[in-house]
Amino acid sequence: MPEQGQLIESPIIVTKGLRKMYGPHLALDDVNLEIPRGSVGILGPNGAGKSTLFKCLLGLITTTSGEGTVLGHDIRSEGESIRSKIGYMPEYNALDPNLFAIDQVRYAGELLGMNSKNATRRSHEVLEYVGLKDQRYRKIETFSTGMLQATKLACALVHDPEILICDEPTNGLDQRARSFMLQTLSRTVREGNRSVLMSSHVMDDVQEVCDNIVMIHQGRIVVQRSIEELVKQVDKEIELVVWGGASRMEDKLRSSGLEARRLGRVIRVKMESDETIEEILRAAVQSSVQVRQMKEYEPDLEDIFLLIMDKLGAEIKGTEDLMTPEHTGGA
Amino acid sequence: MEDQVDIGGGQTRMEAAFGAGDGDDEATAVVAKSQSSLGQIFEQKYRPWEGDLGPRWMRNYAIYRHHVYGVFTSKGHRQYHPMVRLLILVIFLTSLTPVPMLFLSSLIGDDGGFFEKMWGINRYNLWGQVLGYFPRNICMWPLLTAVVVGGMISDDRQHGTSAIYFSRPISRLDYIAMKYLSVAIILGFVIVFSYFVYYTSAIVFRAEGWAFLADTLPIFLGGMLAGSILVITYTSIGLALSSISQSRFFAAIGFLSIIYGTKLVSLLVELQFETTFLYIMSPYDCLAHLGQYLVGIPLNYDHPLSFSVVSLIAMNCAAIWLLVSRVSSLEVTRE
Repeated sequence: MPEQGQLIESPIIVTKGLRKMYGPHLALDDVNLEIPRGSVGILGPNGAGKSTLFKCLLGLITTTSGEGTVLGHDIRSEGESIRSKIGYMPEYNALDPNLFAIDQVRYAGELLGMNSKNATRRSHEVLEYVGLKDQRYRKIETFSTGMLQATKLACALVHDPEILICDEPTNGLDQRARSFMLQTLSRTVREGNRSVLMSSHVMDDVQEVCDNIVMIHQGRIVVQRSIEELVKQVDKEIELVVWGGASRMEDKLRSSGLEARRLGRVIRVKMESDETIEEILRAAVQSSVQVRQMKEYEPDLEDIFLLIMDKLGAEIKGTEDLMTPEHTGGA
Repeated sequence: MEDQVDIGGGQTRMEAAFGAGDGDDEATAVVAKSQSSLGQIFEQKYRPWEGDLGPRWMRNYAIYRHHVYGVFTSKGHRQYHPMVRLLILVIFLTSLTPVPMLFLSSLIGDDGGFFEKMWGINRYNLWGQVLGYFPRNICMWPLLTAVVVGGMISDDRQHGTSAIYFSRPISRLDYIAMKYLSVAIILGFVIVFSYFVYYTSAIVFRAEGWAFLADTLPIFLGGMLAGSILVITYTSIGLALSSISQSRFFAAIGFLSIIYGTKLVSLLVELQFETTFLYIMSPYDCLAHLGQYLVGIPLNYDHPLSFSVVSLIAMNCAAIWLLVSRVSSLEVTRE
């Protein structure tokens, strides 16, 4: 039993010194990964190397140097075995508009080697799972973006893969479809006990589904940690919304030895100790300022992403800078 | 992971609207009512699948079946436009017109008469069934090839469906081979099978015996070989054109342009300069030249047969090289 336990805990994806060059262009540089089971977000600006990493992991392109395994299969020589165990949901459209959804998913299953009967039965199951039970016999050309994304997910899930790789799964989705997609992915991890690798520019989506993140920048892995751990690294701050002398209040806080910064009426104060709150309130009284709101600021994944990008010198002001019209549904 | 970025002590971003510090005394908050949950009418439950995946031939057969069955029924398989399916049927039926003529000939006892000369089994008619220019190679086979290869690969490029193949354990070789086989089978069914039906119906209707078989079988096999080479050549050129574009129309028009264009240019050169040499650039004429040799009728080209054979080999090699290189460029992550 301990052996079985060890197997379960062993990483599903391991790479060592992985390097990929396209001519003189270095797409992946010395990538060392150990991805555990569960849900992992792959983050990085456009052109960082996410797609190249996926292609390497799927065994679709030859690596320039380095090695790696996916579920114990060598990415350099066992691409077909890897792709049999992985479900890949591409970012861009990958469906035949002339087919019914059920036929598209069945065909996706048959391309994996499922016989027609099994593939058909399974297609019904997965289409129901992704919320398209009533649309199974509709032509894909009549589908909305949300339905298209759900169909792509069904195609990826048809053979019950051990790892699901989702490239921008919420691209162009409205709020409701997005929530459903994220809920479905989370459920696949929790109930299905499957692993999900998800790349997205929408940090909230990654945070909702994933426990861990891998961040790529210019072909290098810059962060590979759990979100919880990363949040702990960031300074705790108290956020105040004040009225009637924000600059006075800021000066007072600083003169009290607190680390404060201000933007308009919003002031953030570094939480040094439990007494920091009292000191803030005292400063507010002394500078005759109303404190309209005070809360502990909880940094989210977007904060962390921007913080890391800032440390790396990348000029990204927000995740919107990473998005193309396709990410936002062409808006 | 010692080289990872350390964000300890970092400060998170702050956001406030422009002018957020001005005049907020008068500001009134407008609070939206929370949207009521729409709920779900089904219980979402992940169901695992315990089955085993089949071997490589099952995957390849799925590709083949998807494309070939679509000609007969679009339900569940690749959809060919109803007009395309109708055209294939019309071409197939037209290619079988000698069969009722043979039947009529046997019915009226037209031995050595008009029907026999026009549709009876002989070297010229067997060659003409596959390689005759009018109507087969001007109205039928090129058109048939054009509509079949049109979207065969270009659709995958256009709709990004190549990702469905290559993110699965389908190699580029399998993909090309199965697409090629699918097209070749459809063309072969119309061109070679109709030729076979024509020959066998002559035997049946005229109750021919072993002597007839012994006389005509080598000619028939020669014609069959010529037909097969025609199918291979047209498939190679057609698929290569399909692989370089995202448009069905381009592939189809491109194919027709190559077949008719090279023939026309060669014909004009022949009329002007009285040389058939330029026919080596016309796929149809190279096939016709080789076909004449295979069924044993006088060659009506001045240049040596070997030129046509070499040209055919070169055309096929170039087309397959183009096909392979373009399919290699099909992307999984983005198209």
